[in-house]
Amino acid sequence: MTESPSKANTTTGALNVSAEAVDLSNCDRELVHLCGAIQPHAALLVLQEPELTILQASGNTQDMLGVATEALLGQSVETVLGRDPTAALRERIRRDDLNDALPHVLSVPRLCGKETAFHVFGHRTADALLLEFEPAAPADLARSAEIHSDVRAVLNRLQKAPSLQSFLSLAVDEIRALTGFDRVMAYRFSADGSGQVVAESLEPGLDPYLGLHYPASDIPEPARRLFLLNWVRHLPDVDYVPVPLVPESNPQTGSPTDLSYVSSRSVSVMYTGYLRNMGVQSTLVMTLLSAGKLWGLISCMHHRSPKAVSYEIRLASEFFAHMVSLLLSEKETIDHQAYRARLNGVTEALLAAIRKAATVQDALAGTEPNMLSVIDAAGAAVVTEEGVRLLGQTPPEASVRALAEWLAQRGESRYATHALTDDFPEAAAFGPCCAGLLAIRLSHVAAEYLMWFRPATVEEVNWAGDPRKPVEISETDGELRLQPRTSFALWKQTVSGRARPWLTCEVDHASQLRSAIVEVIGERARTLARINEELEKSNLELDSFAYAASHDLKEPLRGISNFARFLQDSEPGLTEEGRQRIETIVRLTKRMHDLLESLLHYSRVGRSELDLQATAIDELIVQVVAMLRSGNRSALDVDVRVRSPLPTVLCDRIRVTELLHNLIGNAIKYNDKSAKWVEIGCDQALHPPVFFVRDNGIGIPEQHWQRIFELFRRLHGRDAYGGGTGVGLTIAKKVVTRHGGQIWLESRPGEGTTIYFTLEAPVDDEAVDPGAQPGERSAPGGGKA
Amino acid sequence: MRRNVPLLIVEDSDEDFEVTCWALRKVGVERPIIRCTSTEGALGYLLPPEKSPDPAPPLPCLVLLDLNLPTGDGRQLLEDLNRLPRRPPVPLVILSTSSNPRDVVACYRLGASGYLSKPLDLDDFVEKLRVFAAYWFMAVTLPEGER
Repeated sequence: MTESPSKANTTTGALNVSAEAVDLSNCDRELVHLCGAIQPHAALLVLQEPELTILQASGNTQDMLGVATEALLGQSVETVLGRDPTAALRERIRRDDLNDALPHVLSVPRLCGKETAFHVFGHRTADALLLEFEPAAPADLARSAEIHSDVRAVLNRLQKAPSLQSFLSLAVDEIRALTGFDRVMAYRFSADGSGQVVAESLEPGLDPYLGLHYPASDIPEPARRLFLLNWVRHLPDVDYVPVPLVPESNPQTGSPTDLSYVSSRSVSVMYTGYLRNMGVQSTLVMTLLSAGKLWGLISCMHHRSPKAVSYEIRLASEFFAHMVSLLLSEKETIDHQAYRARLNGVTEALLAAIRKAATVQDALAGTEPNMLSVIDAAGAAVVTEEGVRLLGQTPPEASVRALAEWLAQRGESRYATHALTDDFPEAAAFGPCCAGLLAIRLSHVAAEYLMWFRPATVEEVNWAGDPRKPVEISETDGELRLQPRTSFALWKQTVSGRARPWLTCEVDHASQLRSAIVEVIGERARTLARINEELEKSNLELDSFAYAASHDLKEPLRGISNFARFLQDSEPGLTEEGRQRIETIVRLTKRMHDLLESLLHYSRVGRSELDLQATAIDELIVQVVAMLRSGNRSALDVDVRVRSPLPTVLCDRIRVTELLHNLIGNAIKYNDKSAKWVEIGCDQALHPPVFFVRDNGIGIPEQHWQRIFELFRRLHGRDAYGGGTGVGLTIAKKVVTRHGGQIWLESRPGEGTTIYFTLEAPVDDEAVDPGAQPGERSAPGGGKA
Repeated sequence: MRRNVPLLIVEDSDEDFEVTCWALRKVGVERPIIRCTSTEGALGYLLPPEKSPDPAPPLPCLVLLDLNLPTGDGRQLLEDLNRLPRRPPVPLVILSTSSNPRDVVACYRLGASGYLSKPLDLDDFVEKLRVFAAYWFMAVTLPEGER
């Protein structure tokens, strides 16, 4: 706690503090700046300008300045300073408005009434000029040059400190050496306003405060603002007897004089009470700033006795604190830069791995470098529409999904917490692995996230006294009064469910990683699109080529066939053997003609646009079976079982007729049983529905299950099972893939075959299908009538 | 009916032309046969230059057009004829290797009078031309060569 004067609060009257509003900032109400008293180590004169007539004087001028207070009132300041110093003072105060500070304005070797050297400080209020007289310490005055060179040497050592901690430890040691205080502490503020002693230098035998936490209320907000303005504050003796101003008020205005800027101003009884309770007799407090913000304090305490610190030492301390602040920013920046540089290095390695990996997820959650290489965490997760990938210590997949849903509802692009249960109480069930969460949203539309987890650290916080009771209320003189707490005994608080907080640079870094990943994903998508486009184009070209080639080949082939026939008819001298050979030529041309026709047909299936319309598959099967029976006598005695009703689907009627013709035709054709049957059905419970054509035919050995779909692939002799070009299943597959569907089979040789197929793209399937052209796939579920 | 009005065959392949002529003779067609090997040639025959010193040859009674020609698709000839303000009054029958339904549809759309796909088997071809001749030269009344 420290004193906190406020110029804003001008309320007067009885102290009236309600129990709910208990806070040390209530000490504002003491109106210390209007208290009309100073500490006895200095003297104060209140002057009227421009004459510099003394309006008020502190009651200790006889001791301090050698002139009785009453004798000074109404006199010129020359009475104290003498003629030449007064002239020097006039010159000095003419150059400066002295409004917002109490600068040193004069040093005098002696006064008119006293053979003592003094430092004089000046400040202008709205009504008067205030001069504060402080005796100079001749020894310190003499060695001020020496002090400065000492401070310089110390600063050189500080610059070389390898870490922030060693830097602060060295700084408090050096300040203790400079000032001679029993205890010097570096005190660092947390984001919540509480503070912790992070470095300490102390006289042997004293209880260390190192590591102790102090509640935010110990240093009220007004005091913090003051620290930004006033970099050094000193209380030489906590048990001082206040010296009143005489007369009590400014005789010209009738109001108390505002002593806000007077360094020797009497301080709050709350502050002195607090210090006394801690066993402190004297203090010197310096402000530490980092990047213009209040970072902490250097707090010097003396326990043995009161301790007055000379202006020279205070000046050196202020300079010292200033330099520490500058170095502090530098050290923190360098620390962060080093960390950033390390992060950037591993990120580059990770991005390189992502470019090489099959999928982004594989790289992020795979072997190092992975997500845990770039951010210091115990676990990580990649949540995308493709699924959840976990790495290290994480909650189970279902919990990570729930977390992603919750984050999506929050809608932020990034989220970092060291206490997840504060925002998301359900996370308590996830266990201690994820007290800390850093989440970066990957996609603006989907609930896709990169997540890092930090486990809970069970931390014991050592408070200097119970932080929930910063003050006590005592009843004296029949009136309730606030008193600072008397107990500073170690008060331990166990904090759980908290992880090590995420650094700003880590959160920034994760965001940068996201941008880089999104860029890589974009690159991949563009490459994939380009490859698909090329593939599609080359497929079309191939189909066109096959079409043109087979068409052009048919013409000379027919010529060969015709002229072979001419030869046969018109050569009377031909032997029977020659006739047979010509017959063979004609037969081979027929065979080649059939192959070319199949190839033409196949290429047509690939090239022509699909004419999608709602089609009742039942009807198609009736047609196909009738067609097969009319063209093939052996089909008449096959038992065709249709598991009606079959669904109506969106498809190209002609192509699907061909598909069914080929499949049912094969089922009939490749059957050596005496009682042949073909069963056609559909599993409509699946999405998309799966059709099947089952037979009790000859079956297909498993090693051929893929090969049978290849062009011109026949597993039997050319003329076995009625012959054929081997294009039927190839066309069947092409028809299916053109619809976005899939075709596969199950078979047991000798028992039968079941061919399964779908006529729609699988739900959410983004897989590349070179056979399909954009916009030709039927929409999932769109085929249901 | 004048039996000497010629038949025009647009066919680039010598062998195919020979086979077609052979088959036509075999099924009893005795008309003169004129051959063009390109669409340009056919167009020139059907539309002789107006200021030509020679008298224009008689218009054929029928054109048999191969689709797959080296200079321009046979369909081009159909389109060129359609674009004329006074189309020569001649039926035009396609004789093609292709049995692609797309080609068939395209040709009828362009006003073809018939579409014969050439089978591989010679006997089938002869049989097909026999039916063709019976229809076009016995049942149908053809134009008689007037321009």
